[in-house]
Amino acid sequence: MSTPLVEDPLLATKLAVPHQAPGLVRRQRLMRRLASGTEGPLTLVAGGAGFGKTALVASWAAARQTTAPVVWVRVDEDDTPGVFWAYLVEGLRRHGVLADADLGRPVRTDAVARGLLVRLASLLERLRTPVVLVVDGLDRIPGAGVHRDLRFLVEHAGPALHLVLISREDPALPLHRYRAEGLVHEIRERDLAFTRGEAAQLLRGQGLTVDDGVVELLLRRTEGWAAGLRLCALAMTRSDDPAGFARCFGASEQAVSDYLLTEVLATQPAASRELLLRTAVLNPVHPELATALTGREDSEQVLQDLVLRHAFVEPLASPRWYRFHPLFAEVLRAHLRSRQPGLEPWLHRTAARWYVERGRTAEAVTEAAAGGDWAWAAARTVEHLMVAPMVVDPGASPSADTFARMPAATPGPAPALVAAACCLTRHDTSGCRSWLARAERRAERRAEPPGRPPERSGRLTAALLGLLSAPAGADDTQARRVAALMAHLPPEERRRHPEIEPLRLYGLACVRRRAGELQAAREGLDEAVRACTGDTTVLLRHRCLGRLGLADAAAGALARAQDHATASLDVADRHSVPDAHRSGAAGLALAAVALERAELLTAATELDRCEQLPDTCRDPDLATERLVLRSRLATSRGQAQDALDLLDALTPAVGSEAAGSLAEARATAALARGDPGTAVRVLEEVPVGPPSRTVLLAEAHLAAGDARQALHLVAEIEGAEDATLPDRVRLALLRAHHTLLEGDEPAARDRFVQALDLARRELLRRPFTEAGPWVRHLLRGLDGRSSSCAWVTAEPSRPGAVVVEALSPREREVLQQVARMLSTEEAAAELGLSVNTVKTHLRSAYHKLGASRRRDAVERARELHML
Amino acid sequence: MRYEFRIEGSVSETLSRAFPELDHHLAPRDTRFFGTVTDEAHLYGLLARFRDLGLHIEEMRRLPD
Repeated sequence: MSTPLVEDPLLATKLAVPHQAPGLVRRQRLMRRLASGTEGPLTLVAGGAGFGKTALVASWAAARQTTAPVVWVRVDEDDTPGVFWAYLVEGLRRHGVLADADLGRPVRTDAVARGLLVRLASLLERLRTPVVLVVDGLDRIPGAGVHRDLRFLVEHAGPALHLVLISREDPALPLHRYRAEGLVHEIRERDLAFTRGEAAQLLRGQGLTVDDGVVELLLRRTEGWAAGLRLCALAMTRSDDPAGFARCFGASEQAVSDYLLTEVLATQPAASRELLLRTAVLNPVHPELATALTGREDSEQVLQDLVLRHAFVEPLASPRWYRFHPLFAEVLRAHLRSRQPGLEPWLHRTAARWYVERGRTAEAVTEAAAGGDWAWAAARTVEHLMVAPMVVDPGASPSADTFARMPAATPGPAPALVAAACCLTRHDTSGCRSWLARAERRAERRAEPPGRPPERSGRLTAALLGLLSAPAGADDTQARRVAALMAHLPPEERRRHPEIEPLRLYGLACVRRRAGELQAAREGLDEAVRACTGDTTVLLRHRCLGRLGLADAAAGALARAQDHATASLDVADRHSVPDAHRSGAAGLALAAVALERAELLTAATELDRCEQLPDTCRDPDLATERLVLRSRLATSRGQAQDALDLLDALTPAVGSEAAGSLAEARATAALARGDPGTAVRVLEEVPVGPPSRTVLLAEAHLAAGDARQALHLVAEIEGAEDATLPDRVRLALLRAHHTLLEGDEPAARDRFVQALDLARRELLRRPFTEAGPWVRHLLRGLDGRSSSCAWVTAEPSRPGAVVVEALSPREREVLQQVARMLSTEEAAAELGLSVNTVKTHLRSAYHKLGASRRRDAVERARELHML
Repeated sequence: MRYEFRIEGSVSETLSRAFPELDHHLAPRDTRFFGTVTDEAHLYGLLARFRDLGLHIEEMRRLPD
């Protein structure tokens, strides 16, 4: 995968060594220190804003003789850790450092998965030639996560990596230890402060001839602060009496930055002052944008002049774009707010219009949002179909965060549509539906709010969101509407929105699944997976594969389910998707497979794991799946009452398909508890469903002693096309059981062997483990009649399973009592032992089973057939 | 919780307005900002704001409520 990150004009500026303004003071003493620092693993350049940190490292990078590449990554204010790592990997790739290694592309979220760091470190460790990696502005990433990740890299990447961190704050690395071990070279504020010679050079460079006394004065007052000295130079070149300025400054007791900026602004010609004040609220700035905000045509000249003076702005690597130094931007904003209160929103809105005219809709929406023009921002988001990326790609701009502060009462249908999309990013489908209803009502009122989006994109957005939040019982009307509206888009427009079609396929497949059309859902999800080809649909691909795995498992195709679920996890790993953006579908699918194969520990582990993921409990479909699997697991563990309690405690409002599978879970548990009457009642309360439900009902009738009714049901679905493999196995077992009850043991065995042969392909164990004690009886009597029965009784394969020492008879007895849910005291009474003896035996049993809790020990022992 | 921040040098009205939630008092050589700080996040936000404006904190202390 060597496709470049989506090319945006400012991308180059993030990965380029910053431009060197001509005439900058070359600080040899510090450059020498950098050169020796970068021989080691870590160099830290730390100091306050305006101390010339970036300028120093950039001039060193530009001047160095060796060929070892310098990979530069600039961090911007709104970068998330995911964005940072994505750029870092891209930077390394562009310099050929990664060669052909395939690291995958991190998704642009608020964290990255650990796997990325491990792979990155091991790649760097194998490098033969050194590489210098500069991270400029580490303090701009919130949280300590990136620091922790960088620490991992420093400590594991081997000798080829030389990291240079530029930061206003000390990073959260164990610097004291690094210092003691000589691992870090530090260039700090006291080093960065200008010396007298450098200060004099700086002033001379601006054409000022001043005596030593003035230099000394400025240096003392600014304490060698580079930005302060530059501001002094700027003010003095505008002044008739430079020495007089220095004297006033020296005598002033005002805070240095405050004094200098106020003075400098005062000495600027009105035109540049206005430009500075008006454009500082936007970062970065383009001369034409500056013209739009100030109404002056000479903006470019003013900006270039400021660059030459090394004050306020610096040019970006992308032509004609400039960036304000963050310190000045803040102070200028303060001046703007104080001098022209109320102008700031207008500036943002004007910038938004300027951007939209140039086709840069993402920036336009961001600026409009910053200016509080929510109706307009939402209207553009809908008009340009930016809702779809917002739903699938957390790194998209605009994102749900952009609209986090939008008031609910913002008029017009577009804000309601955007609010609906924001709900969807949180898996809140009912919230999404109620916003969609609001959008529809608002559209009907035809209030013509400002900037109403054209009908078609509004309808397409509404249909897509409607499809994705469809309640149980919905049909494919919305999906057809999306397809029809898409067909009306010009081809180039369609190409610009590659996420809409996979979203439509995914939504449609989910609707089908909810309607019980399992096969159609599987085909649809498969199609959706194949449609997710780009970088923006990584998460959707991950989600589709997980759901496909779940649907496979429901259809009894366990091997396929496992493949798809594993593929889903692979996608997430390859793209370093953090937990907060992973879907629990794949884990649920793996749990379902493990349950069918009676691998209970694996099932429990998968369930525990995927319950940590946000959509497992928030998404209605997955929440139902999870509940069914949890109750099935409890039933399989012999805790049928727990299963029923679980189902009683959490009864989500669900559609008929989900209600059916919940009823099946309940009936299974009731049957396991020896209560076929309840099982029958529960199943008869829900409409006739897939064959699995009928099989279960037949099993319940047979258990209740009503063989006639059971056989009647069996005949109904015999040969049904939609019977899954587990259904057919259970049917064969049911017939075997019935025949056995009739007293014809040889015929029962024949049917039993049939069931075994059917089940073997998918290692389907659950129908056998849960059918009852008669199965063991038949199994014992097989004796070579079928060579294929070993897998049923074999211990399920479990990676990392340890060989377990056999339990002593006493330990086994104690554990058996515990398995009956007796307390230690009760078990002691039952066995006629002292409480302490019971505890000793239990501890020893735990130890042998590698378990730390009762429940685990019992389960392990059951699984190993020790109980 | 109430805090006081002592800032090096006098701070102009313009920059002081960047801290609307704090009162301020000008002394000869420094400026004292004080007021109620909602929580830890607010506190760190204020520290960052002082820094972003190039204002140096000489002293910071919690005031009795």
